[in-house]
Formats: sequence, structure tokens, C-alpha cells
Amino acid sequence: MDRQKLITMFQTTASEVAERDFPELSEDSVIGNMGVDSLAMLEVVGEMERALKIQIPDDQLVGIETVGQLIDVVEKRLS
Amino acid sequence: MATFEFHDKLYKKFHKFFDDAEEKRRWHPVKDVPWDKINKDVPDDFALCAETFLGVESFLPDYIRGGLTVVRASTLAQRWFAANWGYEELKHSMALTEWLLRSGKRTEEQMFDFHSSLMEEEWQVPFNTARQMTIYGTFQEMATFVIYLRHEKLAKEFGDGALATCYRLNARDECAHAKFYEDVVKCYLDEDREATIADIAFVAANFQMPGVGIVPDYDKRVEVMREEGKMDRDFFLKKVYFPTIKHWGITRQELVSVAAARRRAARANKPTTAETPLA
Repeated sequence: MDRQKLITMFQTTASEVAERDFPELSEDSVIGNMGVDSLAMLEVVGEMERALKIQIPDDQLVGIETVGQLIDVVEKRLS
Repeated sequence: MATFEFHDKLYKKFHKFFDDAEEKRRWHPVKDVPWDKINKDVPDDFALCAETFLGVESFLPDYIRGGLTVVRASTLAQRWFAANWGYEELKHSMALTEWLLRSGKRTEEQMFDFHSSLMEEEWQVPFNTARQMTIYGTFQEMATFVIYLRHEKLAKEFGDGALATCYRLNARDECAHAKFYEDVVKCYLDEDREATIADIAFVAANFQMPGVGIVPDYDKRVEVMREEGKMDRDFFLKKVYFPTIKHWGITRQELVSVAAARRRAARANKPTTAETPLA
């Protein structure tokens, strides 16, 4: 799956979990500024893991600031 | 109603907790703090942080009333723990009050006004069952423990041995409380794993620290505390959430699937396990 598709997937999943849209989301978007708390964000990641059939170790989810950084981690698990 | 086995397990755990407290952890908030080691030149933000901790701790009457109301029909160990918990938490407020006064950062009149303004608000129990409140207690006490540790380190760095001691003693109690709650949750998991996991997911999704909305200017105060304590948004995950669920033997993925199911059920307007008071 290419990077843009992963970003779209993140955008769709985040909208589902947070029950609102994130139309302006890009690689540089800061997750902390999305107004979604850390635990809800774990839910977004969990949904992506399930859909992509991957498992990201918990420690790799600490320190992620932007959407692009999260997609980097997802891509690594996919490769 | 709890089973005899559940009651018995918790009773033994409470006794262990209480014995440890009596033998290793009893302290006096005036006598056991080296007040001569106060550094009156610490930044004013230190006083704001201490006052905020005090503000949160000051809703003790509400915490005790709310906590006991929720656990009174549960087990003897939980009722006794709640009573003992209140005594230990009281000392945290006493120690912080002493530091604020003795350091000269606050006057007695200011403390009186602060305490009076606090009681204009009331803390409401965030969850309805003993099991959910025990889960909440685990996260909340563990978070408070690690925050106090951060501030102990800071106080040491700025040469205030008295404030560092207040934070260390408070942190030690909070850690003991968190561990007791954590062990009780493990017992709940042994009793009914599926329903307990549903409750953990529910509490985690609805968790907020107890001072939110009731301590005056809480958001501004927390901003200062985050800055001072160098706590970012990952802090809770790294120091509290991941280690706690690991200790319980639960994976993030298990909790996520429960949360997702709950979200879907909510959209379909169906009640789920965690929303139905059971324990």
C-alpha cells in the first residue's frame, strides 16, 4: 500500500473514532493538535493494525508527533 | 455480591498492604520533613505546582464519600482500604500546606482563601461500579505517583530538600495505593476477564485526572506543571498506561477491539458490558 493510501486510511479511521472529519490532514499534521487524546489515538492505530494485519510494538508508539512519523512506523511493519 | 474466594483474596491483599504500610511507610507530615532544607529562592512556579497538587488533594471529602459509596457493597477489604487511603492522602495535603507556608510562598490568609474557593466545587464520582473505580484508581494513583517523582527530582535540582521530601513521601504512598488497586484489578480479571477488560477499555476511554473542572484555573496550572515537569502527551502512555496493562496481562489490541465494539454498539444504540453496572 502506498504512503498516500495509508494517510487516507489514517484520516478515515481517525474520523470514525473521533466522530468528526479531519479534511486538512497531511504528513506534517501534529497528532497532538488534532484534538484527539492519546488513548483515542491508540484506538485509531489499533484499527489500522487490524485492517493491515500488522502489530506495532507499544514502545514504537511513544514519541510519535506527526502523521508522517506514524505512517513511517506503519510502513516499517508492512515491509 | 462478591464470592467468598474473591473476598478472601482481597482480604489477604489488604492485610499485606496494611502490614507494609504500618511497618515501612508510616510518616508524619510535620516531623518527617527536613524543613530547614527549604530553599526560599525556588521559582514561583514551584509554589503554583505545589498549590495545584494541594488543590487536587483537597477534594478528599468528596473522594472518600464517593469512593466508599461505590465500594461499600463490594468487599470488606475495599471498604477498609478506602478508609485507610483517606488517612494517607490527608497527609499529602498537610505536607504541601506546610511547605507553602514555611517557604513563604503563601500566607495563611492566602491558604484560607484558596481552601475556601476549592470547596465551592464538588468532585463527582466518575464511574459507577467498584470494578470501574478500582481501574480508575490504578491509573490515577500511578499517574500521580510518576508526576510526584518528576517534581521530587526538580525540587532536588533546585536545592529544596524539604519540598523534595514532601514529594517523595507522597509519591511512595501513591505508588503503594496504585499497586493495591492494580492487584485488585488482577483479581477482577481472574473472576471475569471479559467484563473486566471491557471496563478497562471504558475507563481508559473516559479517564481524566480528578482536578479537571474543579480546581480554579486548572488548565493554566496544568500547563505550568507540564512545562516544569517536562511531561508531554506520551508521558501517560509510557509511564502509566502501557506498564499497567502489561502488568494485568492485557494487550493494547485486546482493549482496542473492545473499544471499537463499544463504539459500533453505541452507534447502533445497544448497551455494552462496560456500560451496564455489574460489580
